[in-house]
Amino acid sequence: MIIGVLCKACLVKDVPTSSKNTTSSTENSLAQTYPTPKNVTIDGIDYLQSQAPIGKFGGELISSTLGEGPKTFNPFNSKDNTSSTMSAVMYDGLLSTNPVTGQPSPKLAKSYSISPDGKTYTFELRKGIHWSDGKPITADDIVFTWNDIIFAGYGDTSLRDSIVIEGKLPTVRKIDNYTVEFTTPKPYAPFIRVLSASIAPKHIFMPAIKKGKKYFDSFLSTNTKPEDFVVSGAFKLKEYVPAQRVVFEKNPNYYEINTNGDKLPYLERLIYLIVGDQNNEVLKFEAKELDVIGLQGAKVARYKSLEPHSDFKLHNLGPTNGTMYLSVNLNNRKDKDGKYYVNPTKQKWFNDINFRTAIDYTIDRRNMVFNIANGIGAPLHTPESLNSIYLNKELKAFEKDTQKAKEYLEKSGFYTDKKGHLYDKENNRVEFDLYTNAGNTEREAIGVMVKQDLEELGMKVNFKPIEFNSLVNKLVSTFDWDMVIMGLTGSPLEPNGGKNVWLSNGRLHMFNMRTPEEGKANILPWEKELDEIFDKGALATKFEDRKKYYDRYQEIIYEQRPMIYIYSPVVIMAIRDKFKNIYPSSLGGITHNIEEIYIGE
Amino acid sequence: METFKYILKRIIQTIPLLIMVSIISFFIIRLSPVDPLAELKLNPSISPETVEAERQRLGLDKPIIVQYGKWAISFVQGDLGVTSNGEKVSQKLKERIPNTLLLTSLVILLTWLVGVPLGIIAAVKWKTNFDRILTVLTSIGMAIPSFFFAVLLLLFAVKTGWFPIGGLTSPNFADMTFGQKFLDITHHLILPVFVLFTISLAGLQRQMRANMLDVLDSDYVKFARAKGLPEHLVIYKHALRNAVNPMITLLGFEFAGLLSGAALTEYVFQYPGLGRLILEAVLKSDINLVMASLMMGAVMLIVGNLIADILLIITDPRIRVKS
Repeated sequence: MIIGVLCKACLVKDVPTSSKNTTSSTENSLAQTYPTPKNVTIDGIDYLQSQAPIGKFGGELISSTLGEGPKTFNPFNSKDNTSSTMSAVMYDGLLSTNPVTGQPSPKLAKSYSISPDGKTYTFELRKGIHWSDGKPITADDIVFTWNDIIFAGYGDTSLRDSIVIEGKLPTVRKIDNYTVEFTTPKPYAPFIRVLSASIAPKHIFMPAIKKGKKYFDSFLSTNTKPEDFVVSGAFKLKEYVPAQRVVFEKNPNYYEINTNGDKLPYLERLIYLIVGDQNNEVLKFEAKELDVIGLQGAKVARYKSLEPHSDFKLHNLGPTNGTMYLSVNLNNRKDKDGKYYVNPTKQKWFNDINFRTAIDYTIDRRNMVFNIANGIGAPLHTPESLNSIYLNKELKAFEKDTQKAKEYLEKSGFYTDKKGHLYDKENNRVEFDLYTNAGNTEREAIGVMVKQDLEELGMKVNFKPIEFNSLVNKLVSTFDWDMVIMGLTGSPLEPNGGKNVWLSNGRLHMFNMRTPEEGKANILPWEKELDEIFDKGALATKFEDRKKYYDRYQEIIYEQRPMIYIYSPVVIMAIRDKFKNIYPSSLGGITHNIEEIYIGE
Repeated sequence: METFKYILKRIIQTIPLLIMVSIISFFIIRLSPVDPLAELKLNPSISPETVEAERQRLGLDKPIIVQYGKWAISFVQGDLGVTSNGEKVSQKLKERIPNTLLLTSLVILLTWLVGVPLGIIAAVKWKTNFDRILTVLTSIGMAIPSFFFAVLLLLFAVKTGWFPIGGLTSPNFADMTFGQKFLDITHHLILPVFVLFTISLAGLQRQMRANMLDVLDSDYVKFARAKGLPEHLVIYKHALRNAVNPMITLLGFEFAGLLSGAALTEYVFQYPGLGRLILEAVLKSDINLVMASLMMGAVMLIVGNLIADILLIITDPRIRVKS
């Protein structure tokens, strides 16, 4: 015990002071406000006009993608991050997301309106803009994309699945060449977010659709010749070299201009190097083969000290949408053979709000941020990530308070013996298992520190990192676990994406998972309220109304603590000084305005 | 005719071997706890229907034995199947094999061109300073782990800026003239070739030296010297021909390593070869890709040994007489 405390003290001391500075000192770069592009009409063509300073044309930006590169360039087939990034460079959607406010902003659409009943979305398209092969972009392309590709179930169907509302799909119809109307069966607020899905050129995709789903799966694959791509985005594929790089070149028909009326993007080429290994990525950046890089943990302190004498600048983009949490198993039901999933003695502890509150107060989040995330993280108390536009800012952060934690335990009759061991009022020693997935060093480190913290209360924690697949099996199939440390990545724009976690019969409602047969058995009052909130939140269409619902959901989790949130990692990016028009944002990253970025002196 | 019969026999013998290899590999991969769907199951935005559809698409809903049967039938028909992302396995391999072959064959060529003569010289100049220095150098070469050496060289490249940090071509490769392209590839190849060269040179040189020393000590060499043959004839005509036999067996193994021998170095240098592809496939339990690479490795080993045996028949009259 004493050794544990001593060790923690020395760990805290070991943290270089510079890393503490990083989290605060780079905040100012976020303060630079991004001048949102505006719509302008010149000679009957509806351009998007960049409001950022005018730059110089030419040059290239070299970025990287971790892993083995894209699996496809077809935006409707991509299932992994790299493939989605690559296709998003080439295919624009009707809308995109404002990188600062997180609200939908026009892209291929000039403007949109939502009917008062919240069911009809009318889009006015830009007149006179063209695909990279010169054919005009019209309502036909939009209707075709949604009806014949997405609703028809071509490619990856997860987008379609996410907008089935009470078993029905929305409909889309053409009003005239430049007006499209979407109708949802019920008001459904998350729908506006999926309208950022890529739009396909009808004259290219139509023949592929006619050849069937099997053909479509390999359509526009990585073996397709670059000349065969017809795109609407700022860049177009020029070359793909397996396991080495993807090279994009400027799309001369792109519809964004600068305030001089010159066509963007400024950069001639955008290159992604395919790097299979993070260490190699760092070396490549240091050898100037890369222009931009995301940094983690220990590397940030080193780069911070290099920064003053170098040709790059660090940008703190703030917390990510990743969350680390400790979840408690509240399951108090029996399996088919009449056996409890969780030992009944433990059930009493886990279902005791005082017990969970005590744990919440004992966990030293700040210490974990410093020692595990090297100071590059932010303590977290809410299920919404810190960059979420729905974050409930009323919920106050609190520091570790062992005394308070002990008071909560006493309230429920827990007591400690002379040796400091904790017992419940029925004289059972408090002992349970804490799982996480082995091999994830970050979660393993959190586990060790949580164990240390909880042992201060006299609990006996058996920390067991187990293999990922076995853990998933425990969480979603056999339910035989006590506590677990996991991470989830949510959307900072749409809390409804987390409904599988929060709905009482959700597929990832881990902390009180029910089998499909059990339905909503033994539902707790606050679980019921969560169910209602998520139903109402999806149906409400005004941001303010939705915010109220989602504020309440965060409050419930904050108070009931079925999942105790620990911290969010912070993203630090480095980019070479020569690139101008850099407006980093937590939601958009550092190159969200790639068409406006140029190379200065 | 005898030789031909022998080769045919050997080829027929490999068939049960390949079947065994495939069964063992398939079952080990499938019985390992890596669940290709685990990531999907933990993704809150993926519906259970999608997970189920994925399971069916990957054939995971069927018993292992049925999965194996399906795989084996298409393999025999020459169809390697598709990866878990739906890309053709043969296409993926085709992208990477030339790069790996370029690297490994360069290394083998260089090591043999340098290693064999060095081994002979060391044996002839046995116990001179030249031999001793070579022994120290090759011991060092054998002792350095390849990945560690590769990392050191990468750091060297970062510090000096003399070499690119891995890869095979520069971003502007497509715009180069033929001469520039040649130079660019050479520039990228120097470090990985150097790593692999240093490590395999050491082994080869010592092997050759040991063989040569054995032979130089034998009675017929002493006899040749005693009857007054010039030294170069003794060494190159009589000793070398006998010393080279074990090296031919070694060459068979080198052939087997053509596609798989450089995986670790490839990974550190982020070389676009098979190593990275297979590593990713194993981590994701991408069964068709892993099986294709394992079968390829097995076939290469068998073919390598066969080639070595045939070469031995040609060079060594003793084996011919026996068979």
